[in-house]
Amino acid sequence: MQAERTNAMLEQSNREAIDRAGNQSRGEIAASVRNLKKSFNKTIVLEDISFDIAEGESLVLLGASGSGKTTILRVIAGLEEPDGGRVVLHGRDVTELPARERGVGVIFQDYALFPRMTVEKNIAYGLRIRRRPRKEIKETVDRLLDLVHLKEHRKKYPSQLSGGQRQRVAIARTLAYNPQVLLFDEPFGALDAQTRVRLRREIRSLLKEVNVPALFITHDQEEALELGDRIAVLNAGRIEQIGTPDEVYNKPATEYVATFLGAANLLIGVVTGARVQIGNVSLFAGEEVEKFREGQSVKLVFRPEDACLSKTARLPANCRALTSGVVEEINFVGAYERLSVRLDFTSSRSKRDNLPFYSLADDDAEKPSGFPTLITRPKPEANAAPLATGDRVAVGLIAFRLLPNFTLASERASRTLDLQN
Amino acid sequence: MSTAVSALRHVRGFDIARPLSITVMIGMMLPLVLLPLASIFMFGTSKGLASFWAALSAPEAVFALKLSMVTSFYATVFNVVFGLFAAYVLSRYNFWGRNALIVIISLPTAIPTAVAGFALLLLWGPYGTLGRLLAPQGVEVMFTAWAIVLANIFVTFPLAFGVIKPVFDTMSRSLEEASATIGATRWQTFWHVTLPSLRGAIVTGALLTFARAVGEFGSTILVSGNLTNRTQTAPLYIFAKFNEGQVEAANAIAIVLAILSFVIFSFLFIARDWLDAE
Repeated sequence: MQAERTNAMLEQSNREAIDRAGNQSRGEIAASVRNLKKSFNKTIVLEDISFDIAEGESLVLLGASGSGKTTILRVIAGLEEPDGGRVVLHGRDVTELPARERGVGVIFQDYALFPRMTVEKNIAYGLRIRRRPRKEIKETVDRLLDLVHLKEHRKKYPSQLSGGQRQRVAIARTLAYNPQVLLFDEPFGALDAQTRVRLRREIRSLLKEVNVPALFITHDQEEALELGDRIAVLNAGRIEQIGTPDEVYNKPATEYVATFLGAANLLIGVVTGARVQIGNVSLFAGEEVEKFREGQSVKLVFRPEDACLSKTARLPANCRALTSGVVEEINFVGAYERLSVRLDFTSSRSKRDNLPFYSLADDDAEKPSGFPTLITRPKPEANAAPLATGDRVAVGLIAFRLLPNFTLASERASRTLDLQN
Repeated sequence: MSTAVSALRHVRGFDIARPLSITVMIGMMLPLVLLPLASIFMFGTSKGLASFWAALSAPEAVFALKLSMVTSFYATVFNVVFGLFAAYVLSRYNFWGRNALIVIISLPTAIPTAVAGFALLLLWGPYGTLGRLLAPQGVEVMFTAWAIVLANIFVTFPLAFGVIKPVFDTMSRSLEEASATIGATRWQTFWHVTLPSLRGAIVTGALLTFARAVGEFGSTILVSGNLTNRTQTAPLYIFAKFNEGQVEAANAIAIVLAILSFVIFSFLFIARDWLDAE
């Protein structure tokens, strides 16, 4: 019975997640931030930040330290006043309201559990200050202790709990007063790597269960990809891109997004017809070139795992041939093999063919030339077609992305231009 | 010579420096602190407990002790409340002249107590700046128990503040912020979250203030008038009885005061972990 209901709930939330991914405007908007601006002592921290969080959705604000992500959270919570812009929660403009009247739940990085209160007192705090009847408080606390699996720790003090348990208390403490939105400030920063991965899953399923919209703040891209229904990538007080994990990872809108979320290789080329010319190598780009003019300078971005290598010239069918290169370095990194390959863009043919007949050139005299790139191969592939340093290989791409290349523009200007695309 | 000493230093793990330095330290404390304290007790009990008890239960002695306790209690309550408030204001708000105020609050520790008493006389005394205005109203502050309270407040002013302020400064703001986002008012946050975290500092500050106030002599002798059964505190009683040659009477009270301060500081030492506990 219970299991059935949970399953139904999970199914529903899955459907909702799919709906959201397909059409973001369909879900009801739980929280929305419009044109937030904030500066501290003339340093601009937030520059025109706008986004929505749908009902039941998890949005991750991903950015390096100093990108302004914590400031956004504090503004939504009412702990910081914006210089401009609005914060709207479930249709109500709360920009002018103090923190205590907003009804948001903040899970602080250090959890901020009250040290002199037991677990159950911590959880009951929100109801106690609202002067709810004792019976109601007890029922809510029991239900929440059950939800976060801390029944047997109810009489303990925060200092007697592990990091993960403290975090669950912090979440239960906010859930007690039915928050409009949950705000997580670097929720796993203080934990070790293993606990972090476990807690991520726990929180994800917990959120699906309670169906409260959540905003996560993090600088960890792996965390962002796993926790977020959508991810907003923040750079220097601006949102560079906002989209599903798949979108931001596979279709980065800017160079910053491409390089911040995982590793990326960058090549500079020119659009010629339906192809991109890189050096004297040309690559069929198909629909990717549509956004660009003929002759426009572009950056070709590809992920290390989106390249394929072959010692013979034959590449898999789904792989567009790029050029050849020399394997410079091979490392085994657990689940995959990491190669550094120097790609050759000056000549499509091997150097040796062009040598004058009288040259007594030897094979190993090949000077390091070309463009170093990072390529990874999964273990099965690495085992099936082993490579050694010095091997010349054909390199193709399964997926890549073209971005405009503003070589002469400043970083800020190029970012503005990037965003217009 | 030097080889002999260095040979002594490490004989099969026996380090002479340890017992030597401990002995020297105790040897220095003996005539300076330990023996004076011990002699009060030895003298007080030399004529038997009965005479000690008689000296202690003399009405003037009981009155002096009571007066000391009561005036010190009032001063402590005031200074803890004020110290808490001042620490809150001075650590939470930044304003022009804040550092100057911190220095001024801490000043009374550096002022000789006789000067403090004299300063109070000049303000509240019958010819003082304020006293002159109050005297025609029939309000007389000096040479009453209130004068003693005022003197106690003045000389112990920075003690509670000094203990509470650093705790405020180092307290994580996120606790109060968490309380605010949960929905608590400022007052609820202060009562349920801030105050419990200050428990240790408040108890420590209160005990230090009380201990210091009970023993206050220099300022009280100036402002109280030293009137038996009216404004004579325990330290003044000791001084008065000693001057009258009644050494037993003085000594009985001295023992009580010594024990009191011993108890207070032992408690602070033993309960340190409990007071600091998070």
